[in-house]
Amino acid sequence: MGNNVLLVDDSSTMRKIVGRSLRQAGIEFDNIYEAADGLQALEVLEKESVDIVLSDINMPNMDGISFLREKANRPNMKSIPVFMISTETGDDIIGEAKSLGAVGAIKKPFTADMVNEVLGPFLK
Amino acid sequence: MDIGQDIINAATDVFSTMLMIDLVAGEPIEGAGGEVISNITSMLGLGGDIRGMLAVHCPAVVAMAITSGFLGMDVDSLNEDVKDAIGEIANMIAGNLKSSFAGYDVKVELAIPTSIVGESYRVGGMLGTRRVAVLFGMESGQFLVELKYVMDK
Repeated sequence: MGNNVLLVDDSSTMRKIVGRSLRQAGIEFDNIYEAADGLQALEVLEKESVDIVLSDINMPNMDGISFLREKANRPNMKSIPVFMISTETGDDIIGEAKSLGAVGAIKKPFTADMVNEVLGPFLK
Repeated sequence: MDIGQDIINAATDVFSTMLMIDLVAGEPIEGAGGEVISNITSMLGLGGDIRGMLAVHCPAVVAMAITSGFLGMDVDSLNEDVKDAIGEIANMIAGNLKSSFAGYDVKVELAIPTSIVGESYRVGGMLGTRRVAVLFGMESGQFLVELKYVMDK
């Protein structure tokens, strides 16, 4: 059995690249769900069983920080681990993300090896 | 601060990491010059200690080659995928610049990228901005990365 992954990024190109990086990293998964912003991500998490979330920070409608804040208030999804995957990796923004429950961060640009190094320990 | 070199470092890192392409960087240009015939421009606003705009200007053939490399498939028109991909290139270059500027204790906030496509357009900016631009070469042609900014610090 693999993993169910949710990719949250307003760039469809980046969602495809992250999905491909997961495959190249040899990470097995059953489903990759996609969302273009935090609002869509919350909708997916309400409906689907997701093991891990990879989320951008700068997005329209609901950004990654607001998504974390809202997710933390919903008991049914609070425990799902979230990794930020963003150009925004300054101590202040990542510190805020971690204070809201983010487990770690991957900086764009990234390679499949970087994705595997960060996510590998958290996936089945 | 050496913004021209920061642009070179930012762009070459993005292309080597994400696309396995070694860009050939030109000399940084300050002020006017270094234009490229562009069919797509992706830009994003910068706020904070540096206010302005970062733009990536590409001829169609270069933009399509970059997008093909990203997606692993042939691309034969300036479609939504191309606008999205070049926007993400601009976003990652700006993110790297933000990290470089943080090393000078210059804080920058990034907006969300926007892409425009056309045969004849001109991208303006705020009055009184400085301009630093770098031409980059890859197999399919050249593209330009341009920063127009006002430093408040």
